[in-house]
Amino acid sequence: MTEPLIRAQGLTLRYGRKVALDDVSFTIPKGRVVGLLGHNGAGKTSLMKALVGLMPGEGQLNVLGLDPRKQRVALLDRLSYIPDVAILPRWARVEQLITLMTGLHPRFSAERARALIKRTSVSLTDKVKSLSKGMVVQVHLALIAAIDAQVMILDEPTLGLDVLSRKAFYEMLIDEWCDGERSVLISTHQVEEIESLLSDVMMLNEGKLVLSISLEEMDKRFVALSHDPAQAEAMAAAHPLLRYRVQGGSAALFDGLPPEAVQALGQRVRPSLVDLFVALTRAPEMNRTQG
Amino acid sequence: MVCYISNTPDAPMQTWDHKQPIYQQLADQLAASLLDGDLPEGEPIPSVRTLASRYLLNPLTVSRALQALGDEGLVETRRGLGMFVRPGARQKLKQAERTRFLTEEWPQLRTRLRRLDIAADQLSWEE
Repeated sequence: MTEPLIRAQGLTLRYGRKVALDDVSFTIPKGRVVGLLGHNGAGKTSLMKALVGLMPGEGQLNVLGLDPRKQRVALLDRLSYIPDVAILPRWARVEQLITLMTGLHPRFSAERARALIKRTSVSLTDKVKSLSKGMVVQVHLALIAAIDAQVMILDEPTLGLDVLSRKAFYEMLIDEWCDGERSVLISTHQVEEIESLLSDVMMLNEGKLVLSISLEEMDKRFVALSHDPAQAEAMAAAHPLLRYRVQGGSAALFDGLPPEAVQALGQRVRPSLVDLFVALTRAPEMNRTQG
Repeated sequence: MVCYISNTPDAPMQTWDHKQPIYQQLADQLAASLLDGDLPEGEPIPSVRTLASRYLLNPLTVSRALQALGDEGLVETRRGLGMFVRPGARQKLKQAERTRFLTEEWPQLRTRLRRLDIAADQLSWEE
């Protein structure tokens, strides 16, 4: 068993007295694409900041064998990070940014960055301030993808991208970063779109890690039964995590197999990540009224 | 090849239904192309990376799909060479599909035909 790329043990993060992340433990081995899901304010950005050494915390945190707070410079050699607020200097030309990155990062390949930029509608002589929001994101992604890193931390990298650019980003993610050695942690609200790209998912709800599971395990553990609306009461009586609508009827989502009598009332279908996300991260007042 | 301009800009993003696990849906699609002869027997099947890129799937999901086809005896791993369609795989798959049709689909279809008073000679076999 090789050492995981990321290991967090009892990690707690605070902003003053407010707890942003509450006693979170997880590991990310190599070769994974982990989706970090949570509503706004659930702690996603705080966790990502802690992973790159931008936020102090309690508990243990180890990324690529290093302590992100104390060994940040060494860590950034092999880790790349796109923050949720991707800012590039407005006055700079794309070519100048490439020169800047070449000077800043030992594992940055200017040649690769230029090749990546060439595939976009952005030209090397364009100034950042003349680019659209989506184009800025693409430049940012190109600069980051030109770094030969082992861990990628991407905080909502597709925010502001149109569907075609998002698809191109997903293609890059699979083609370039899924080589079995690197791992990617990606947060996004486009849950439906990225589900098939992920190997694992982590769900945060109000600072707590409510689920950390591989998609393979998720398929096995969570059971969704589609059923005739007439069976709705019997389904509800079995206390599902969530009841929702599917094409042509209703469905109920269970953690584990429900009793056989209940199973017989419906047909097993694939629980989608979105359904599970909704079930596990609802607002507390909704959780109280449920079941 | 890396790019932000999509390789296949006209193709819509692959969508997966909510009936079965995604790996099973990919396995079914690959089985269908095997049945159609698009994946000939004895020939290599595309690599995990190629399939992952084509279907925009995590490589682990692709591996599970190939594993499922392997479990059904349709493909085999040749050491150092990758995965190949097994000789006789098409016949085997066709036989399994025939059995499934005759035991599962046909009885339902027959019931429906009876309900609609459709006799065998009223069905057109012309395309």
